[in-house]
Amino acid sequence: MAGLLERAFTSAPGRAVASRLGLAEPPVLRRGPALPDEPLVLASLAGSTLVSDTLALLGVRAGEPLLDDGPEPPAYPGRIGGIVVDARDLRRIDQLEALRAVLRPALRALAASGRVVLVADDDVDGLEARAVRQALDGISRTVGKELRRGATCNLVFVATGASASDLASTLGFLLEGRSAFVDGQSWTVAPRLPLSPSPTPTPFLPPSATPAAGIPAAGVALGSERGGGGRRGDARGDARPLAGRIVAVTGAARGIGAQIATVAAGQGATVVCVDIPAAGEALAALANGLHGTALQLDVTAPDAGERIAAHVASRHGETARLYGIVHNAGITRDKLLVNTDAQRWAQVLSVNLEAELRINPVLLDGRPGGLADGGRIVGVASTSGIAGNRGQANYAASKAGVAGLVRALAPELAPRGITVNAVAPGFIETDMTARIPFVQREVFRRTNSLSQGGLPVDVAETICYFLDPDSAGVTGQVVRVCGQNLVGA
Amino acid sequence: MQLPRTPVVVGGNRTPFAKAGTRYASAGNTDLLTAALDGLVARFGLAGSELDEVAAGAVLKHSRDFNLTREAVLSSALAPTTPAVDLQQACGTGLEAVVYVANKISLGQASVGIGGGVDSASDAPIAVSEGLRRALLAANRARTLPERLRALASIRPGHLAPVAPQVVEPRTGLSMGEHQARTTAAWGISREAQDELAAASHAHLARAWDAGFFDDLVTAYLGVSRDTVLRPDTSVEKLAALRPVFGDTMTAGNSTALTDGAAVVLLAEQEWALAHGLPPLARIVDAQVAAVDHVAGDDLLLAPTHAVARLLARQGMSLQDVELYELHEAFASTVLATLAAWESERYCRDRLGLDAPLGAIDRSRLNVNGSSLAAGHPFAATGGRIVATLAKLLHERGSGARGLVSVCAAGGQGVVALLEAV
Amino acid sequence: MDADVDLLAGMPRLGPLFARAALPSLHRGPARLPRSTAVVTGVRQDVARLADYDRVCGFRVRDAVPPTWLHVLTFPLHVHLLSGPESTIRLAGVVHVSNRMRLHRPVAAGEVLDVSVRAGNLRPHRRGALLDMVGEVRRGDEPVWEGVSTYLAPGARVAGEPEEVARPAVEPRSPIAQWRLPAGLGRDYRRVSGDPNPIHTNVLAARAFGFARPIIHGMWTHARLLAALDARLPAAYAVDVDFLRPVLLPSTVGAWWQAERGGWSAAVTSRDGSRAHLVARVRT
Repeated sequence: MAGLLERAFTSAPGRAVASRLGLAEPPVLRRGPALPDEPLVLASLAGSTLVSDTLALLGVRAGEPLLDDGPEPPAYPGRIGGIVVDARDLRRIDQLEALRAVLRPALRALAASGRVVLVADDDVDGLEARAVRQALDGISRTVGKELRRGATCNLVFVATGASASDLASTLGFLLEGRSAFVDGQSWTVAPRLPLSPSPTPTPFLPPSATPAAGIPAAGVALGSERGGGGRRGDARGDARPLAGRIVAVTGAARGIGAQIATVAAGQGATVVCVDIPAAGEALAALANGLHGTALQLDVTAPDAGERIAAHVASRHGETARLYGIVHNAGITRDKLLVNTDAQRWAQVLSVNLEAELRINPVLLDGRPGGLADGGRIVGVASTSGIAGNRGQANYAASKAGVAGLVRALAPELAPRGITVNAVAPGFIETDMTARIPFVQREVFRRTNSLSQGGLPVDVAETICYFLDPDSAGVTGQVVRVCGQNLVGA
Repeated sequence: MQLPRTPVVVGGNRTPFAKAGTRYASAGNTDLLTAALDGLVARFGLAGSELDEVAAGAVLKHSRDFNLTREAVLSSALAPTTPAVDLQQACGTGLEAVVYVANKISLGQASVGIGGGVDSASDAPIAVSEGLRRALLAANRARTLPERLRALASIRPGHLAPVAPQVVEPRTGLSMGEHQARTTAAWGISREAQDELAAASHAHLARAWDAGFFDDLVTAYLGVSRDTVLRPDTSVEKLAALRPVFGDTMTAGNSTALTDGAAVVLLAEQEWALAHGLPPLARIVDAQVAAVDHVAGDDLLLAPTHAVARLLARQGMSLQDVELYELHEAFASTVLATLAAWESERYCRDRLGLDAPLGAIDRSRLNVNGSSLAAGHPFAATGGRIVATLAKLLHERGSGARGLVSVCAAGGQGVVALLEAV
Repeated sequence: MDADVDLLAGMPRLGPLFARAALPSLHRGPARLPRSTAVVTGVRQDVARLADYDRVCGFRVRDAVPPTWLHVLTFPLHVHLLSGPESTIRLAGVVHVSNRMRLHRPVAAGEVLDVSVRAGNLRPHRRGALLDMVGEVRRGDEPVWEGVSTYLAPGARVAGEPEEVARPAVEPRSPIAQWRLPAGLGRDYRRVSGDPNPIHTNVLAARAFGFARPIIHGMWTHARLLAALDARLPAAYAVDVDFLRPVLLPSTVGAWWQAERGGWSAAVTSRDGSRAHLVARVRT
């Protein structure tokens, strides 16, 4: 039975109050690998062609922007699906006016689940230029908060030397529905790390390894269905960028982990689904549906890394290597710090942080079944780790630790072509969040720019964007999947 | 093709075993077997694969489940074109199914297959009484309404009581426990020795669970993730407090409990397995069945001693050449009587026809990770549980280590097998 | 516009509700449906009844529940809405003509769910009116299952031109399977679904609605067909069915299914396959 408060919130008068509080029915977000149905607009503010080159590479056409340079702002003839602003080479404060001038008409015309993407230089010199760089971030975050109906605004910083092919995976991700719950964020794309590997051959071929009776494996459609109603989503030529690559996902049995495995398998990955033995039945069903394998393992076991590598080597051969590891396993043991004992403290740190710290070096030591050069490490941080969260000192410690680990490990592994990144989910509807008390949950769920909780698939899509071989220039980044939650940076 | 080829155990999977009538009360044999198969398929990435054959069976089986194993295959993630066979040899079923697949592999009739078994004492078939059955058959045959009514009128209230299956030897009318009580008395097996064996079984199994030994041998089912019969905190003292149920010394604590569960083993030809990314754990070296004449007074559950003697003779081995012993614990006293029989000069000479006793074994190598007293004993599932456990244990010990499996079965039969680590 | 929410403390018991739902509507004016959404939060699944349901419908007992079971969870709210004062349409006498559902991800038997149903899309039909009962099962904000049951309310009056509803044409074909439905199947399904409509169990009640014998619940037939596909179904999928002709009890029916691009087409037919009782399409 529902608690009193919960009933109050969902009863008719409760709804009215909630509505006045801005807790009205949230917009339905466009999800999946589809571009907006409506036309896109491209604005280059200072003559850079990087974004137009990138869109060309992606096969995405974009129209000319309207400029607010007269007495009245001009109006687009119809809704636009999004605007991409190439703000590279912007160095002076007065140049920001050009951004205002293109955004004003565009924001008025923006369709539901529309996109605003700003692209700017990461490495700038001079006081004014650095101030301008930071100003762009402020604009992006504010636009994110002002947009309605599921539209998002994000900012990509491009490091010196990055080319259109380096930017393509990021721009494609941001324009498509795959980034539905990523809003108000900024991160950096650099020139791709060298050593993108050829897909690892998998010698394992079971006798007549065909899916039963021609039905595609579960979830294949989720990741590979292209395009929405209008144009086909052309933002990524290869719908199966992970084909022939082995990806291990910890905590895979349910929730976000199951979605990560499903989306990765849909993009062609051979998935190793890892979870604790108690979750075995769901884990087995998932692995079978994805034509992957199940590995029952407590990630805190001292030999967890060895067992993951041994599993990969035994199933796929001594020469096989893991392409990606997604450290998704996590637990919560919430209490105010004044009530937190050593056990609650240790459990959370052990599963959420220490396990990853112990597993990575094992997978990186060159052993059979370990991580390939040119591979991917993805961690799962949390907005709680970025902003702190009452009752979650242990969890925040572990998740902030994941973010710290990513930043420290990325430069270390760059020479091997291995990228290291993390997502930081905000409020995502999962078994874990179901344990948060109702009022806190409802407030947490609604207090973001999209007025709703995210779905596990939103986190999974972002992780698969990191896994994409074309994201080789994205490393050391922590991207929040939080709908621009009000708390935190 | 070179014959014979080498059959190997690649791995195994089982459901956790649950006390009958509890956590799996609503699941039937097909459900349990499907769950065990799906866990195995997931562990080895076999989804959608066509195997050469799946062999399994159940001791307590509904007549509607005449094709139990094939139906479970069709419900599993294996390719629907995977053939299956139902086998049954009482509690020897699981091991016999493994031997059946191994033999086909040896003969080149199969390259990869699954052997195992399932039993659900919760889902045991309830039969109609013989009187009711006859009356219904007669009514069915009747050609006229009066004839039919007459046939139906012969039904008496007593006929309507359902008949639950009984584990009773048809030729002696004795239950297995009553038979074993005679053996226990005849061999002078003490209560203390039985309780010690039972306590050790629980302690060993609990330690193995805690060490994660079963992480890659068991898949949770319906929210159960450990064997529920297991009592990690039991002790000789606690077991000593129990009341005897068979004879003077056999209690619920040193006899196996009615249990629900399923277990399967993935078998393949050695070269094939290596070529397909399925590293072998152990070879199935040899197997033997034997039976005793319990109607004439032989010990019902000591048939495996005959099978072991023949197998060792064929292999030119002594009992002490074996590194690990897996003796199914139908009752603690079955294991103890078996050990005593091996040590008895008279038994080995008169019954087994040997010049010398098989001799004592190192007890520290017996059921090192527990056995049926602690895990429970879903009849046909026990063979698969033991083979997968032993294969993993032998593999951990290193190439060449040999292990013996011995399972006693109703009807005075025994199935034994010899495994060797790859 | 936010619809009113009718938050119930728990799942309503069907017996008493159904007594009201069974009274024929004396209403002669234009038909009305309740505007509120009936919601029950924190629904725990009855695992023993689920296992019984699995067996009656032919599913394996697994931790992951069949999507049709989630429909069963929503069904008391169908009855609740159609027996309330706001509704001029009574459940007794309405005909379930089609059902669409989507399972977004596997749902485990142990999951605690929020269940909601609303009535809507009332539209004229040659024989009365059509309406949709739209069900949703969520975990928090995450929808895990959605289902739309379309019912025909004979004699109900709705303004407007009756829209011709295209019923799928089914070519006769020989069945792959043949199922014998015993006379007591209606009682078995009543036990596991909680649907006490006597039309499924009682000859007189069936005759009152023009059937020679009791008819099996359409949702049993639906479930039985999915159970036949069993391991061939993916982890998440959508299934649409049209109920074309009721199945009398006892009887023997046929069934066929065929893999097609992106899913399956399937039907439950007469024994010889000449006439379809139910047609289904599964999309992944």
